This record gives sequence, C-alpha cells and structure tokens, in this order.
Amino acid sequence: MTTLVSKLRQSTAAAVLAVTAASFAGDAFAKDLTITVWAGGTNDSDVYRLDAIEMAADMLEREYEILGEELNITVEKKRDFADWAAFKQAVTLAAEAGDAPNIVVTSHLDIAPWSQAGLIVPVEDYVDMDAWPLNNLYDNLVEITSYNDVVYGLPQDAESRPFFFWKDTMKQLGYSDAEIEALPAKVESGEYTLANVLEDAKKAVEMELVEEGYGFYPRVSNGPDYAQFYQSFGGELLDKDTGKLLLDKQAMTDFYQFFVDAVEAKVTRKNHIGTEWDQWYAEVASGKAATWHGGTWHYARYTGKEGLDDFFGNIQFTLIPAGNENGRANTITHPLAYLLTAQDDEDDVEIAAQLIKIASEPRINTLHAIKSAHLGIAREQSNIELYANDRWAAEATERLLGQANAQPNHTGYGQFSQIMFKGLETAWTGTRTPAEAVAEVEAEMKATLGDEVIIR
Amino acid sequence: MRRAHLLGLGFLSPALAIILMLFLIPVLLTVMFSFTNMSTATGISGGAYEINAASLRKLADAGAQESFVETLGKESFVVDDAGITAAAAAYGEQFANEVGSQMLGERFSSRRDLERAFRKLKSRPRSTRDIKKAADLFKRSVLNIRFETAGGLVDAVTDNGIEMTPDQQELLTKTIYTGWTWTSDNFALMAQIPYVWRVAGNTVLYVVLTLAASVGMGLFLAITTFYLPSSAASSFRAIWFLPRILPNVIFVLMWKWLAWDTGFLSSLLANFGVPPRNWMLDTGVNAWVFIVLINGIVGASLGMILFGSAIKSIPQSMLHASEVDGASRWQQIRYIILPQLRWPIMFICAYSTLSLLTSFEYILLSTDGGPGGATEVWSLMAFHTALDNYAGNLQYGLGAAMALMLVIVGILASLVYLRIFNFNDLVAKPRIEQ
Repeated sequence: MTTLVSKLRQSTAAAVLAVTAASFAGDAFAKDLTITVWAGGTNDSDVYRLDAIEMAADMLEREYEILGEELNITVEKKRDFADWAAFKQAVTLAAEAGDAPNIVVTSHLDIAPWSQAGLIVPVEDYVDMDAWPLNNLYDNLVEITSYNDVVYGLPQDAESRPFFFWKDTMKQLGYSDAEIEALPAKVESGEYTLANVLEDAKKAVEMELVEEGYGFYPRVSNGPDYAQFYQSFGGELLDKDTGKLLLDKQAMTDFYQFFVDAVEAKVTRKNHIGTEWDQWYAEVASGKAATWHGGTWHYARYTGKEGLDDFFGNIQFTLIPAGNENGRANTITHPLAYLLTAQDDEDDVEIAAQLIKIASEPRINTLHAIKSAHLGIAREQSNIELYANDRWAAEATERLLGQANAQPNHTGYGQFSQIMFKGLETAWTGTRTPAEAVAEVEAEMKATLGDEVIIR
Repeated sequence: MRRAHLLGLGFLSPALAIILMLFLIPVLLTVMFSFTNMSTATGISGGAYEINAASLRKLADAGAQESFVETLGKESFVVDDAGITAAAAAYGEQFANEVGSQMLGERFSSRRDLERAFRKLKSRPRSTRDIKKAADLFKRSVLNIRFETAGGLVDAVTDNGIEMTPDQQELLTKTIYTGWTWTSDNFALMAQIPYVWRVAGNTVLYVVLTLAASVGMGLFLAITTFYLPSSAASSFRAIWFLPRILPNVIFVLMWKWLAWDTGFLSSLLANFGVPPRNWMLDTGVNAWVFIVLINGIVGASLGMILFGSAIKSIPQSMLHASEVDGASRWQQIRYIILPQLRWPIMFICAYSTLSLLTSFEYILLSTDGGPGGATEVWSLMAFHTALDNYAGNLQYGLGAAMALMLVIVGILASLVYLRIFNFNDLVAKPRIEQ
C-alpha cells in the first residue's frame, strides 16, 4: 500500500512538473501582449503618432522571430479625447487607478509632474541612447524630453509657432513683393516689431481691407503661443541659475498691454478668446485676417481641409516679432514626446520602450512629419526624399527652429502658464487693467508657487 | 425587533446606501483631500523618496548645508570588488573577470559612460537592459533612484559613505518626499488669491439672478397657464418642459447656434446693419444674460409645475367669490393666489439655491467661465482646479478645499432654511384622525 501511495505521489509530482515545464517553455516561445497607446491633441492628420507604434510592432515581431521567439503584439490606439484637458485628466486618473496606457503621446511639459508622481519611468532605463535611431535625434529635442538630467521620453515631433501675414492685404497696405520677402529677416533683426504689427493691422482695418477685429487674429484658446508674447517683451520663463520660474512684471504688463491696445485699436476683438477653432481656421486660411499667429502644423490644415491651394503665394511667415527693446523676436517649440508609464510587469515596459524606439526611425517619423506638417526629430530626415523635398518642412525648419526655445520642464510650470493666461484674459476682456491683472497674477503666483517662482 | 421593523429597514436601505455612497463618502473624501497638498505631481496613492536636481534645489532652499547638498548630488559609478562579485553572480564569471581585468578602479560620472565601456567587452550581456542592470551594480551614489521608504533612502545614503546628522536626515527625508502631505494651507491660499474673491462674487450674482429669473418665469407661466383653457395650458406646459428633458449638451448647443457670430442672431441682425459678433461672449454682461436665461429657462419648468399644482389646490370658491366682488385678474393674483403660494415659492428658492450653488454644467458647456473669468462660479472653479485645465497640473487638494467650502455653505443654508420653514410645523400630525 505504501509503495502504491508513494508511486502515485511520484507520478503526480512528475506530471505536475511536466505540465509546469511545458507551460513555461510555451511562455518563452510565444508571448501575447496588448500595448495601449493614447495620444492627446491628435487630429486626422496626426494619426501616425499612433500608427507608427503599429508599424514598430510589426518590425519588432519580425526581430523576435529571427531570434526564435514568438511575440504577438496587439496595439490598442486611442485619440478621441475632447481636448488636452480631457486627455490629461484621463491619463492621470487612469494611472492613479493602476490602469495607465503603456505609451502616452503628450506634451513634454507633463514630464516634470508625472515623473515626480511616479506615473512615468525614464526611457533611458530601457533603450540604448547611443544606438540607432536614438543617436540620430536632435540633441536639443532630447534635452527637452529630459528632466533632472534623465531622459524620460523620446521626442515625437517638433514644431514651432510662427507669425503669419496675408500677402494680398500687405500689398494693398503698400508693401512691395520684395519688402514682403524681406519681412522675416526684418522681424528677426528686431526692425519690424509688434508695434508695427499694430500699425499695419490698424491701417488694414481703416482701409477696410479687413473687417474690424480681423487686423490681428490670435489663437483662440490657452496655449504655449502666449508665452511667446511674454518673451517678445523681454520676459523669461525660467531663471537659469536657480532653476526657478520667473515672473517679470514689466514684461508681463507690456505683454498684456499689447493685447489691450489691439482691442482698443479695433484690430482684435474683445471677445476673441473662445471663438470656435473651425471658424478660426476657415477665416485665416481665406484671407479674412490681415495678421495672425499659429503653429507650423497649421500648414496641413490650411492647404488640406481649408483648401488653400497656394500657401506660399498667399502667406508670409516669420518669428513672433519683438515687442520692445527689452525683448526679442522668438518662437516656442513645443515637442510632443512618447512617454512610458509605470507598469506592474517590467517586460511590458521594455517592449513598449522598444516600440517607441523603432517608431523614432527617421523614415517612420517622416510620414508623421510630412502628413501633419510637423518638423522632424532626427538629423537623417533631411536625407529622406519625402522630407527633403517638402518645401514647408525645409523653410520652416530653417527660418524658425534656430531661434526656437522650449518652455521649462518644471512641476510648477503648468500653474504658471495657467495663471499667466488667466491674467491675459482678464486684461484682454477689460475685466481688469493690465496693471491690475499683473497684480492679481503676482498674488496668485506667490500664493500657489511660493518659493518656486522669482518675482522681478 | 419585530419583522415589520426589518421590513421598514429593508425599504429604507436603498436610500441609506445612496446617502452613504453618493453623499457621505464623497464628503468625507473631500474633507480629507482638502487638508492635503495633493496634486498631479504628488500623486494620490502615496509618494517616494528621490534625490534629483529638482529635489536638491528644494533641499538647499530648506537650509541644508551646501557641502551636504553637493555630496548628495554627485553621480558616481566605481568598478570595485563588490560590484564585480555582484556582476559575477548575475551575469557570469567571464564577464566579471573581463570587467575586473580591464576596468578595476575606474570611476564614471554617468551610467551612460559605463555602459559605453561595457559595450567594448566581448563577454558583455547581449541585451541593452542587462547592460544597464549590470552598470547599476556599480552605482555608488544615490542620485535619481526612487526609494519607496525613508528607511531605504537613509540606508542607501549611509551605505554610500555619506554621513548625516539626525537633523540632516530629518530635513532630507522631509524635503525630498515626492508625495502629498497634510496641510491646512489650502484655505489660507484661497483667501490670498484675488481671483477666488471675484469668483465668490460671481457665484452670489449667479444664484441671485438665476433664482429670480427661474422663480419669476415659473410663476408667470403657472399663473398664465392657470387662466388658459386646460388643453392649451397643457400644451404650453409641455413646450416649456422641453428644456428640462433635452440633453444638456444639445440644449446649450442650440443657444450657441443662436449666439455665434455666424449664428442666427448675427445673421438676422446683419440685415439691419449690425456687425456680426459672438453675442454670448461679447462682454461679461452678455455672457451673464445668456447664463441666466439658459439656467432660468430650465429652472422655470420646475417652478411652473409646482406653482401650477399649488394654484389648483386653491379652493375655486375663493376665486369665484372674488369675481362676484368685482376683483380684476391682477387683484386675484395679488390677494388670493400669491399669498397662498408663499410656501411653494420658499421651497423652490431654498431648493434652487442649494442646487445652483453646486451646478455648473450649463456654464461649463456655454461660456466655460468666460469671457475673462467673468462667469466663472465657485463650483466651476473647483472643477477647473481639481480636474480640468489645459496645463494638466491638477490641484486635487486645493480643488477639494474649494468644494468643501460649498458643502459647508450648503449645510449652513439648509439649516437656515429648515429654521425658516419650521419643519416640525410642516409635518405636524393631522388632527382629523386623533
């Protein structure tokens, strides 16, 4: 009896071992996993932010197959968020609930708060930054996606935010073709300033070339664009020595005053903020506004959905002009980044890391850059015909990117920019004078940011 | 306990569950959150300890010695025996021997440099991740490592030969903690922000104007439909009830179509030479008119139903008698109907104050607080602060503190209303059956 029992025991143990071994062996050879990617601010023309991950998954599966392992990746893509606010709310709350997507495409500004909260992990822990294609990324972009000297994300695209002029209107104002051609250089050297913009816009309204409120037609919602005007008047966002945010009251007042002056001169509408984006795009792409500012990616929208056939024949673009002698002509680049979220299973993070690495291949990124009229992320893209032959990518890169700076990665910057915009809105709509608005901004920044902001 | 009692409890339990889940727990959580500095950056579920450029800056600001901060901030990788032994255990003798023979004693100021050196070795691990992990075995500093506990951090610091006094240790663990901490600062903060005061003013304005509009309109509708033939009255009531049945988004969208600068109003007025404009967001006053109309029309339907049924319960004989005495319609309204609507009007006022204080969906959908924050009300501000802003830096703690203020105001208002209504009188036992 005892022998029978012991034999039974032995055989059961053997069977269990065999089954376990088989299932583990199976694990090693076939791995199925789902990688979720969420992208914020992504329209139809930006789908390669997500599709690039799918292409990368295909490539990675092939690489694994050659190494004798079967890897099946299902990529789940999501981009239908109402706006940036809704996207960020969704990501942070999902991550807090332990349900974060593997890969997030978002502003580099999210790196500071999300890394402190432990929602994202450094990409440099998983990929070799010295190997292709990451060693080909522009260094300044990698710097923008780093925080505390750690590379947290991979740049997904680059852009900048130019100032636009409708050529026809400018000609009727008396500018010759040659003068319009020389405008970008004049803006860069500080010869043509925001004061000139106001002057020309006013003339355009007075001569009835454009309707009231359409002399200067700014962005309709909060965005990095407005920090450019703060810089135009000499404002700096970050104090480089201390790493703290900087509120320059004089520059902020001048910046608010410019928008108030524009409203008083009837070249900008008092109620402009909150205009529908669709209406705005249609109007600027059809010459209803004399001057405006936007993003390099607007090119895709103007020439695509809005049907502007001859962009270069109709529109001139420059840096954001300087505001006064304290400031400079400038533009802000606001790259999006691929970020990896913290997951329970580190293997998943590693696969996700390899996917975003492959998605950064110059050829794959060029698809996104050209389709969405963004700028490239890697040096080698200028050797890819699709990119090199695109006039917009080439000219915008040359004219704008050299002068572009990014907003600082700082945990308090989100609040800083929110408060700055709120102040602008109250001054713009006439709820407060610029000086009062700046006083409110100062009080609120002091209260909420405390030591993290230097007030000058 | 009798079975009948159990049955009563059973019937009550859904209500109790709802009160618990939808009122008590959220209120308790709001109270808890409002005494923290919780935000996107601190996370909700707890923090960690990490020494990095940002946290070292905070440490210096908090008064730590410069030399201490500097030592903590140094990154160093040293190829020493301890590291080699660990590498042998994890990645094989061959790799460890190669490291030992070629690199012993070398120092690197970043992991990337050490990784580069490893990549020159023949017996190195053949995966990027393993090379990184192997490099970490030689790390002799604490920079950029996330520690789950303060103890772990302190051990690592001392293991790396950095000495700390107890004071320094306390300052370090307190300053570089990434998570949220308890604080009562949120309430002081609110008082310091001028914008908050403006929003408080907006909220009072919103409640008073909307209440006046909805009660006024409700009364007007109830009285006018009372004097209409009953079939016409019911159709009018049905029409006025539509805004309440309609999904909020569609209702507001229709208002937007009306007010946009390419919308109905602008197109209509263009015929009279008025330049098109966004009528809703043109000025603060315009925005208020729309907000009050949108909310007032929705609110009016409830008043209409309640007042309407209250008017019906007025004995017809009183109205007939007044007519015999030669009273006009206005006199009937002034001396018979309105006095008897006192309680329903008070009820609607009380109920609507409370619901208006916390409701912001129509404002969110129509003006989103604009233009320039002119129509931002308290509950919308709490929502924007805690859950929804462009920068994505959500201030859960401050937002909760704002919401808590609403809870407090709401409870106080309820108590006042209970006192005014003298609730015990209202529910006094009927005398007939005694």
